Amino acid sequence: MPVKFLTADKLQIFIDRLLASSTVFSPSNQPGNVIRYTQANKPEDICIDYVNSDISPKELFFPQTEELFSFDQTDEGIDLRVQTGYKPKVIFGMRACDVKALLTLDPVFNSQWPDPHYAKNRNETIIICLACDKALSTCFCNTFGIDPVAPEGADLVLISYGSGYIIEECSYTGRELRELYQDLLTQEYVHLEKIKEEKRKQLSEQFVHHVSPSKAKETMDNNFELPYWDEISRKCLGCGICTYVCPTCHCFDIFDYAPEETTGSRCRCWDSCMYGDFTKMAGGHNPRPTKKERVRNRFMHKIKYHLDRYGIEGCVGCGRCIVKCPVNMDITSIITDLGEVK
Amino acid sequence: MADSPLIPFIATITDIVDETSDVKTFQMVFDDPAVMEAFNNKPGQVAQLSVFGTGEATISITSSPTRNGILEFSVKNVGQLTTALHQLEIGSKVGIRGPYGNHFPYHSMQGKDLLFIGGGIGLAPLRSLIDFVLDASNRDQYGKVTILYGARSMDDLCFKRDLFERWCRLPDTEVLTTIDRPEDAWTGHVGFVPAYLEEINPTPENKIAITCGPPIMIKFVLQALEKMGYTDEQVITTLELKMKCGIGKCGRCNIGDKFVCVDGPVFSLDQIKAMPPEY
Repeated sequence: MPVKFLTADKLQIFIDRLLASSTVFSPSNQPGNVIRYTQANKPEDICIDYVNSDISPKELFFPQTEELFSFDQTDEGIDLRVQTGYKPKVIFGMRACDVKALLTLDPVFNSQWPDPHYAKNRNETIIICLACDKALSTCFCNTFGIDPVAPEGADLVLISYGSGYIIEECSYTGRELRELYQDLLTQEYVHLEKIKEEKRKQLSEQFVHHVSPSKAKETMDNNFELPYWDEISRKCLGCGICTYVCPTCHCFDIFDYAPEETTGSRCRCWDSCMYGDFTKMAGGHNPRPTKKERVRNRFMHKIKYHLDRYGIEGCVGCGRCIVKCPVNMDITSIITDLGEVK
Repeated sequence: MADSPLIPFIATITDIVDETSDVKTFQMVFDDPAVMEAFNNKPGQVAQLSVFGTGEATISITSSPTRNGILEFSVKNVGQLTTALHQLEIGSKVGIRGPYGNHFPYHSMQGKDLLFIGGGIGLAPLRSLIDFVLDASNRDQYGKVTILYGARSMDDLCFKRDLFERWCRLPDTEVLTTIDRPEDAWTGHVGFVPAYLEEINPTPENKIAITCGPPIMIKFVLQALEKMGYTDEQVITTLELKMKCGIGKCGRCNIGDKFVCVDGPVFSLDQIKAMPPEY
């Protein structure tokens, strides 16, 4: 079948023109060898030779800290001001797991009482994905039926092939974007499905974890109390890193920042269900008082609660929590262990 | 972004009643009458109160929607926001957003006798329904109203004006009060709420029991009601969990896959039993 093809030498021009016409965010190599999505100002800022970023691009849609409004209290009353500085942007180089994570967050922020902060970012962002060529030993997106070479939710996908990239458009926006770069593309005749199948095969050989969340969910459906949670939670330090690197965690705190008392900002920032005071009430009562309840809640949220509530799993198998956990808590072992509970 | 549900509307404190040494009832009115008109709260719902510079907290709306044009919140001084709120005066500006959550099933309660069982500040959310039911426009829709209420001491009894001067004087309405330990000036019942409930032993026939109070009181009240033959569908409670957003997004008030801020705070006992015991 005919496909649009971008040769490697034209990729540079593609990126130059993209940078000239849009606000572009992409994975970049930050000090300390951290791959993170930042605004790209020049082509060298963009890192395409990466497997997955250390920090997920969730922060481009749901920032770690964001002002909801500012307030100014005077004798006449209180004045609330809302910033409206949202700029349309293009994200270049997202992975399938991270786009799926957005589909996981969508029902949280967009259903009942829609969140305009998130919606604005979501609606005004064009997503260009890079199909995966390599998997990390911690990757397990296959567990959740995610296709790393055909990301669901992308506008445009670049699939590396031969001496360049096959460009696949996945939305009307993607098509409009592709048409802008029509002069850079050639038409090639390839068996696209076969190419994708070959890539899937290569990736599946690299996946270390092959687990079944449905069995673990079945155990969770039937058992809230399990000695297993006591055991597994003992080593947890409650540091919350799993929730900070997770592309689907959406918990937040709301607080006032007011160094001058009468003027200040109402902000929201990421929060973590792994912290002891997350559910602790002013009067002292805490429905999840120990690590056991908190660890259980996190994993049950990922595998069961989110799925039961929204019909979509709360984990995308990006493996970041496995990489970053200081005590080697591994969600894939937990899924396996729970699947074996009789 | 002015359409953000996280942005409160400005209101003014128009009255403050000292209920106990650490509970105050604040009457608030939105500065914009159109916002007041559109607020449209139902008995049992909650709102987020803002003290700008301190933050927000979820507080149940204690006034009945039948009291047009005002909102009341009874607040115990226990945390940062409530401390800041307690320092405010009549005329102070606050922020309110809401109303949030479901409400008491006041339609399906019609034709039934109602038994309210409250402890301490737990009477605050029940009061919105009590005053709704006792309002002249609704009173004939409901049977006998019994209010069983207890607190640690005489000082800790909230809504004394309602209990001893208003509700008890209304027809077909019974007010029963108790305090935990005897006091010289107290001539009423002494003992814990669940024990008093068992003493009175109200028949479950054609009755709905609605309870709210400290977790330990609720636990024993539920046991007592079960012993007296109340079915799970006849027992309603309202839960209090830490909340930040009030709109099902910030993630902290979940019990299993339910968010108390949008799926609750009102649950029947059969619904509670279907959830993990994490409240």
